[in-house]
Amino acid sequence: MKKLLKLSIACFALLASTASFAEIAVIVHPSNNAELDSNAISRLFLGKLKSFPGGDQAVPINLSESSAQTKEFNKNVLKKSGSQLKAYWSKLVFTGKGTPPKALNSDAEVIGLVSSNPNIIGYIDAASVTGDVKVIAKF
Amino acid sequence: MNNSVKFITATALAISSLSSQAEVRINGFASIVAGTSMDEDKSLYGYDDTLSFKPESLFALQVSSDLGDGLSATSQIIARGENDYDATFEWAYFSYAISDSTQLSVGRMRIPFYRYSDYLDVGYAYTWVRPPKSVYNLTFSTYDGASLLYTSTMGEWDSSLQLIVGSFEGSVNVLSDDDPAKLSNMYGINWTVGNYWLTARAVYMQADASISFVNDPDPTQQLNQFVGLLGAIGATDAANGLLIEEDDGSFLGIGVSIDYENFLIDSEFTRVEVEDTLIATQNQYYISFAYRFDEWTPYISFEHRKDENDDDYSAGLPTDLNLGGGPIDVRAAYQATLTSQETENDVFSVGARYNFHPSAALKFDYTKRERQTSDASALSVGLDLVF
Repeated sequence: MKKLLKLSIACFALLASTASFAEIAVIVHPSNNAELDSNAISRLFLGKLKSFPGGDQAVPINLSESSAQTKEFNKNVLKKSGSQLKAYWSKLVFTGKGTPPKALNSDAEVIGLVSSNPNIIGYIDAASVTGDVKVIAKF
Repeated sequence: MNNSVKFITATALAISSLSSQAEVRINGFASIVAGTSMDEDKSLYGYDDTLSFKPESLFALQVSSDLGDGLSATSQIIARGENDYDATFEWAYFSYAISDSTQLSVGRMRIPFYRYSDYLDVGYAYTWVRPPKSVYNLTFSTYDGASLLYTSTMGEWDSSLQLIVGSFEGSVNVLSDDDPAKLSNMYGINWTVGNYWLTARAVYMQADASISFVNDPDPTQQLNQFVGLLGAIGATDAANGLLIEEDDGSFLGIGVSIDYENFLIDSEFTRVEVEDTLIATQNQYYISFAYRFDEWTPYISFEHRKDENDDDYSAGLPTDLNLGGGPIDVRAAYQATLTSQETENDVFSVGARYNFHPSAALKFDYTKRERQTSDASALSVGLDLVF
């Protein structure tokens, strides 16, 4: 148990230190003129809000749970730890009230999807941003 | 087990092949709980003084299919240790999203008695090994019917209003663990409102309750004989005051949860009443405190339950009925029957949750229950998973 604890503290410290360097960009399709503050973005990714302020359907897309981007996004925007978030979604999934956003594996895949569909909203490492997408917030 | 799984696989396949839009998702959860009573010859929550995995362990699969255009089908199969891991469909319902804010569901669903009712079995979703049993004491949890869920936002407050209508047929525990019961004309309203740190909830439900005494484990069948005697001497009101036949049942629940700067407080109060019956009116509450230190969340809880019988129809009963075998004090016997259903207990729990893996949590719990007659305590360790 002690070893496990030490190991998890070490992992946590390591992740925390690498993650703190990544700046996260929240991206949408270039034609999407939505203005969203951190609270609205959080509500979209928690399934509490289902459309952009203009009324168009909004579909949030995650990166994989273990990625540094997701950890940073969860911490700074959703203000929840991985376990808290998992518990939050368990409550919705197992009551048929909601499903977590689908997760893609890389920034490039998120850019690909966002640039082809005005309903998608995603987040990536700010360093990966290309001209195909529009950044609406940075954290 | 096999049949259920085959059926659901077949259903899932049929749905996915029939609709080009159907998307089938399989999620699951499991809890493996090992526990033991701390005292010889005393059991608590199904645990005796040998280590047992059965009373609270379970394994569940949920299959949901998104049929497109707001329609979805969800079913949950649960295998419980207490039932020898026989798998049964506990939920099966269709949901239709009338709009972004309104969802109609029909089928077999969870009755929203408690704040954690919806995910009672998903241990991963809460801090404790088990929700406080003094409050979470009703042994049935699902109903057949419809539910209308309306969600809305007012500033930073989220509101969720649920109306339910339906019925329940199954077993409850009044005299035995398997008393045939029927709740008909069940109506309920369940309102939850919350912001980022505070959640408040109120629920009220009513139904016509009928519960049979046929499975009374008492070998001498005293209760059934007594009801027969009351009928024979023409004390119909008194007899009906014990029997549970289409009597007014009601459930009231109020709850508050706080999650502020890693400090967690949970509290619920419930009142359960079935008027003019043997069943005592239950009043119970709990309050629980926890603090989140990264992956560790220690907690303490206090629970109180008091069941009192206030529907007394004994006033006109004879105190010296003589049927040949000497005088019987029917009035005293009636009052004793009512009193036999009364109980009072305090429960203290201390424990912790440890998130050792992104999809799994370990939990440790010590619980002590105090009654006037005797105390009992149990130690348990649980592993909760979601997948």
